[in-house]
Amino acid sequence: MKFASNDSSKPRRARHSEAVILFCIANQTFAIAADAVQEIRSTDSLGGAAIEIEQAEVPKVRHLVERARRTYYVVSGCAHFGLRVTRPTLVLILRQIRAAVLVDSIERMADVTTIHPLPRAFEGEERKWYRGLTYLEDRVIPVIHPGGFLTVEEFARLDQAAAASNAAQQMVGAEQG
Amino acid sequence: MTAAEQTGKQSYVLLHVGNRRFALRSELVEELAPPVRLHHFPNTTALVAGVIVRRGRIVPVYDVAPVLCGRESSIHRFYLVARRSFGTDSEASAIPVNGECELASAELLPTAVGEPGYFTGSLEVGDEKIQVLNLEALVRSRAGSNDSSNSAGFRR
Repeated sequence: MKFASNDSSKPRRARHSEAVILFCIANQTFAIAADAVQEIRSTDSLGGAAIEIEQAEVPKVRHLVERARRTYYVVSGCAHFGLRVTRPTLVLILRQIRAAVLVDSIERMADVTTIHPLPRAFEGEERKWYRGLTYLEDRVIPVIHPGGFLTVEEFARLDQAAAASNAAQQMVGAEQG
Repeated sequence: MTAAEQTGKQSYVLLHVGNRRFALRSELVEELAPPVRLHHFPNTTALVAGVIVRRGRIVPVYDVAPVLCGRESSIHRFYLVARRSFGTDSEASAIPVNGECELASAELLPTAVGEPGYFTGSLEVGDEKIQVLNLEALVRSRAGSNDSSNSAGFRR
């Protein structure tokens, strides 16, 4: 049995909200869509699995990690955003792209209903970094564009460096064996 | 046609940046906003200091004092919100000012030789010669010094 809604004649305004993770790098808060993050790990737990990239092809990437047969490049959040260098404690492993991001801390999760476009006054790298801005509890917080951490060209250079590093390691292993 | 237009005069908002007065065409000016919170986040765009929130809109703030006065101004108390053109469209943009804004009608005098391109002319108000700002040229004046490298990314 169904009861007719009293206000069925009124169009119900469905307010779409999006779950975001608020995280901090050098005291700066950022938001990223929760469904863009596959996993959050502590840097300590990942330490053993991280492989150092010998060639500094992309200065903001110093390590890679293998997760589920995929290579993720670990991007320093400080270096990416030009913030002062801090000691990151967490790694956000992203879902759609082969990148992970070093961050200082997770603030909390939140639901945002509006993401304002980045004003056109912003003409620099930030146009790639941010999907837009959200206004949350009297704060304007940039919402991260996950694809902005590494360009296609940077991925290609990193893949080359990783392959070269892997080949060198295999050669050393063969010589020792 | 207004009385000012009939006499060849136009209307300008006179504003204080640092310890100097400048003028902006009044039709570009939306409002003088109170000293609301300036929100910072990393960016690499020259002169953009952050954003303020006004009437539900996010308005970028241009710190033009280093261009106009040669140094940062620490005494601004208000934001002058004006329209900046982007092709056929425009966007609200804020400039930190000292708060002492007034409306004046005056005739635009041509720019003197050698004056920066972000002045479109000058006004004579009383004994004072006040330069008229071209907002678009002003905020673009440091565009060439944009540092896309991340080390210079965050300005406070």
